[in-house]
Amino acid sequence: MLPPIWPRKASLAILTCGALVLLLEATKLARPFTPAEALDFRPRYMPALEPPTPIPVFTSPSAASRRPILEPNLIDPHDNLRTFYLALWRTEVGAPGAITRVLHYGDSPVTADSITADVRSLLQQHFGDAGHGFVLIAKPWAWYGHRGVDVQGKGWHIAAATQTRARDGFHGLGGVSFEGDTGASSRLILGEDHAKIEIQYLRQPGGGVLTVEAAGQTLGAVESDGPAKEPGFQTFPLPAGARTIQLSVERGPVRLFGVSFERNTPGVIYNSLGLNGGQVQVVVRYFDKPQWAEELEHEHPDLVVINYGTNESIYAEYIERSYPGELRQVIERVKAAVPGASVLIMSPMDRGQRDANSRISTVPTLPRLVEIQRQTALEMNCAFFNTFQAMGGEGTMARWYDSQPRLVSADFTHPLPAGARKVGVLLDQALESGYRQFKAREQRRTHQ
Amino acid sequence: MLLTSAAYFTFLAAVFFAYWLAARYRLGALAVVLFANYFFYARWDLAYLAIIPLASTCDFFIGQALHASTKPGLRRLLVALSIMLNIGLIASVKYLPVLPWVLPLALSFYGFQSLTYTIDIYRRDAKPAESYLAYLASASFFPTTVAGPITRLSTLWPQWSKREMLSAENGGKALFLIGLGLVKKLLIADFLAESLVNRVFDLPKLYSGAEVLAGAYGYALQLYYDFSGYTDIALGSALLLGITLPPNFNRPYAALNISDFWRRWHMSFSHWLRDYLYFSLPGLRSRWKVFAYVNLVITMMLGGLWHGAGWTFLVWGAWHGVGLAMHRGWQTLRGKRTPSPAPAARLARGLLTFHFVLIGWIFFRAANLDTARDILYQITSGTISFANITPAFMLVAIFAAAAHFVPKSWYDGGLRLYCQSPYYAQAAAIAAVIVAIRYAGGASAAPFIYSRF
Repeated sequence: MLPPIWPRKASLAILTCGALVLLLEATKLARPFTPAEALDFRPRYMPALEPPTPIPVFTSPSAASRRPILEPNLIDPHDNLRTFYLALWRTEVGAPGAITRVLHYGDSPVTADSITADVRSLLQQHFGDAGHGFVLIAKPWAWYGHRGVDVQGKGWHIAAATQTRARDGFHGLGGVSFEGDTGASSRLILGEDHAKIEIQYLRQPGGGVLTVEAAGQTLGAVESDGPAKEPGFQTFPLPAGARTIQLSVERGPVRLFGVSFERNTPGVIYNSLGLNGGQVQVVVRYFDKPQWAEELEHEHPDLVVINYGTNESIYAEYIERSYPGELRQVIERVKAAVPGASVLIMSPMDRGQRDANSRISTVPTLPRLVEIQRQTALEMNCAFFNTFQAMGGEGTMARWYDSQPRLVSADFTHPLPAGARKVGVLLDQALESGYRQFKAREQRRTHQ
Repeated sequence: MLLTSAAYFTFLAAVFFAYWLAARYRLGALAVVLFANYFFYARWDLAYLAIIPLASTCDFFIGQALHASTKPGLRRLLVALSIMLNIGLIASVKYLPVLPWVLPLALSFYGFQSLTYTIDIYRRDAKPAESYLAYLASASFFPTTVAGPITRLSTLWPQWSKREMLSAENGGKALFLIGLGLVKKLLIADFLAESLVNRVFDLPKLYSGAEVLAGAYGYALQLYYDFSGYTDIALGSALLLGITLPPNFNRPYAALNISDFWRRWHMSFSHWLRDYLYFSLPGLRSRWKVFAYVNLVITMMLGGLWHGAGWTFLVWGAWHGVGLAMHRGWQTLRGKRTPSPAPAARLARGLLTFHFVLIGWIFFRAANLDTARDILYQITSGTISFANITPAFMLVAIFAAAAHFVPKSWYDGGLRLYCQSPYYAQAAAIAAVIVAIRYAGGASAAPFIYSRF
C-alpha cells in the first residue's frame, strides 16, 4: 500500500516516460540511450591530461650517431633526403656560409606559422639560427604571421593565389602578390638582429621605386622598372641593432612578393610558405610556371616540403580522379626548378568531423588521400612523412579535442598552439633522427 | 554525473521513488536525501565523501556556537573561521590545489551556500538548523551542487519538515522544467557552441568580422541557454522532491540597463554578492559616497575572479563593476526623472545594454586577453563573409533569440497546459524531447559552462 502522501500523477508520468524510452530502445525506432549507459554509475574523472610535448634534446653528434632512432613515419627508400642531410651536416660542423635552406609549402596552419615555427625553432636550436627567412610584407589573412616578426602593411592591393589572384599568375615565392601605388608602405619589426634583408619584387615596364629604411636610416631604393616582367631580388645589409624596417613606395606602381631576413652565420633557414585554402591545384593552375621556377631556383633550397591535402580531403571524387595527377605536376615543377633539392611530401594532419552518431571521427577520405600521397612520393623518388600516422592515425582529432589542454580547434582541423607544437616536434624528430641515421651510415662507409 | 545524462535521470527517478516512500517519516526522507547527495558527490570523486561531511559538520557547530554566544569578539572569530573554512575550500580546489589530483567539481556553490548559513546566524537574520541531519542534507543538496542556484540554507530545512504531498501541479511543473532544461541545453546551447561559437573563440583570426560577431552573439545565447537550462533541470529535480529553489534568470537580455541586467541574470549569485560581499565591504555607511561606487567595482571584480584566476575574468568583472557604478552615478544625477517610455527609446536602451553585456562576454569566454583582443579586432575589421555561418546556426540562433522574449503569459500558458495534461501526455512529451535530442542534438552533452566555476 502506498503512503498517503504518494505523488501519484508524477510517479505515473515518470514510469510511463521510462517505459516509452525503453520501448523506443527495444523497437530501435530511436536510440535515446543505451540501458548500460543509464546504469553506469562508475565515478567519472576528468579527461586524461595530455602530457606536454617534450622538447627533443640533441646530444653531441657523435653520441647521437651511435644511437640511431628508427622513424617509421618518415619513408625515404631512395635516399632522397641526402641533399638535405648533407647540407645539415655542413651546417652542423659550422662550415663558413653553410646555411641549410628549407621551403615549407602548406595550407592554413602554415599560414599562421604554426607547426613551421616550432620546426624552425627546434632545428635552429640544434644546428644554428641563420635567420627568419621569407616573410610576407602585409597580412593577406588576419591570422597570417611569422613568429618573431611583427608585420604591418597599408595601401597594398593584395592578390593571393587562393583568393583574388594575380591575373598573370606572378605570385612570387610565397603565393601572394602585393601591388602598391605611391604611399603604400610596410613596417616589419624583428625580435633580433639580422645581417641583411632581401627584397623580392617584380621588375616590370613602368615599375616604380621602393625605398628601404632600417631604424630610421635609409638603406637604399629598389628600382622596379625593367624591360620585361621578371622576378627581381635586391639585398641590403642591415646595420647592427636595426630591427624596424620600413618599406615605402616612393613612386608607384611597385609590386612586391615578400622579403627575406638572413644572418651571416651557419644555421638553418626554415621558410614558412602557407596559403589559406592552399591545395596542389592552386599551385598547378594559378602559379605562373616559369616565374615560380625562377623564384625556387633563386632560393637554392636543400629541402622542399610539400604539405597540402587538408583542403582536398573532403572531395572523394576529386581525390580519385584528379588529385594524383596534380600532385605529380607540382612535384615535377619543383624537381625541374631545383633538381638537386630533396623533396618531402608531408601528409596532412588528421581531420575530424561529426559522424551520423554525432561522434568526432576522421574524414573518411583522408586515409585514402594519405595513401595516394605516399604512393606518389615513392614513385616520384621523394621522401614521405606520414603526419597523419605519426600523430596517432584515425580518431586523433577526437582525442585531441577531448584532451586537457585541448589541442585542436572546435573545427577539428586547425591545431591550437599546443597541438601545432606536437606536430612540429614530430616532424623535427623525424628529420633529425633520419639525419642521425644518415650520418651514422656515412661514417660507417668512410671507415670501411 | 552530468545533469543531462541518462545516468542522472535514472538516479533522479530512484531518489524520487525512495524519497516519497520514506516521506512519511522525516528522518527517513532526510536519510534518503543525504544518501543521494553523497552518492552524487562520490560519482564525481570519492574524495568528496571526506571533504563535504567534514566541512558541513564544522559549519553546523559554528552555527550553533554563533547562535548561543553573545560575546561580539567570539562571534566575529567564529564567523571568520567559517569564512576561512569555506573560502579556503573553494580556493584550495580551484586556485591552489592541495590534493595530488584534480577534483572535477569546484566547491564554489557548496561554499557560498554554507556561508549563507553562518553569516545569516551571525547577523541574527536566521536561526541555526535544529537537526544535524537536516543541515547536512541541505548543505549538500544535490540539485544545487554543480552550479547552484545559490540557496540560503535557512530556506531549505523548513521545507524538509513539511509533510505535504507533491501536488499534481508541482509534479507537472517539475517535469516541465526538466524537459525545458534539456531542450535549452542540448538542442540550443550545445548546438550553437558546436556550430560556430567554439571555433570562433578558438581561432578568431580565421574568420571574417561578420562571422566573429555572429559567434559572439551565439555565445551570448549559448551561455544563457546553457546556464538557464541547467537551472531549470536543478529546479525541476528539487521540485520533484517537493523542494522549491530560488529562480536564477528572468529574461536577462531584455534588460534596459546594466543594473536591470544584474537583477535578471544569475540572480542567486548577484543577490549573494550584494548581501554577503557588497554590504560587508567597509565604507558603505561613511559620508563619502564614493565608497558606494568603489565597492561596486571591487565586488564585481571579486565576482569576476571567482570565475577563475585570470585576467579575462578580472576584466569582465571590472567592466561590469564600472558599468554598474556609472549607471548608479547617472541615476543619482538624473534624480527623479524617469527614462522615456517610448518604444524606440526602450529599444535603444535594450540594445545598448545587450551590447555592453556582449563585450563583457567576449572577455568572459576568451581563453586569454590576446584572444579577446583578436575577437574585438576582427569584429571591427569590417570584413564580411558568411561562409562559416550555416542556415541551421542562423535558424537556431534566431529561434533562441525570439524564445528569450516570449511573453511570460505565453510561458505560463504552456506550463499550465502541460500541468493539466494527463500523466501519459506528460510522459510522451518528455519522451519526445529525448528522441528529438537523440536525432538533432549531439551524442554526448558538453559539461555545463558553470560547472567549472
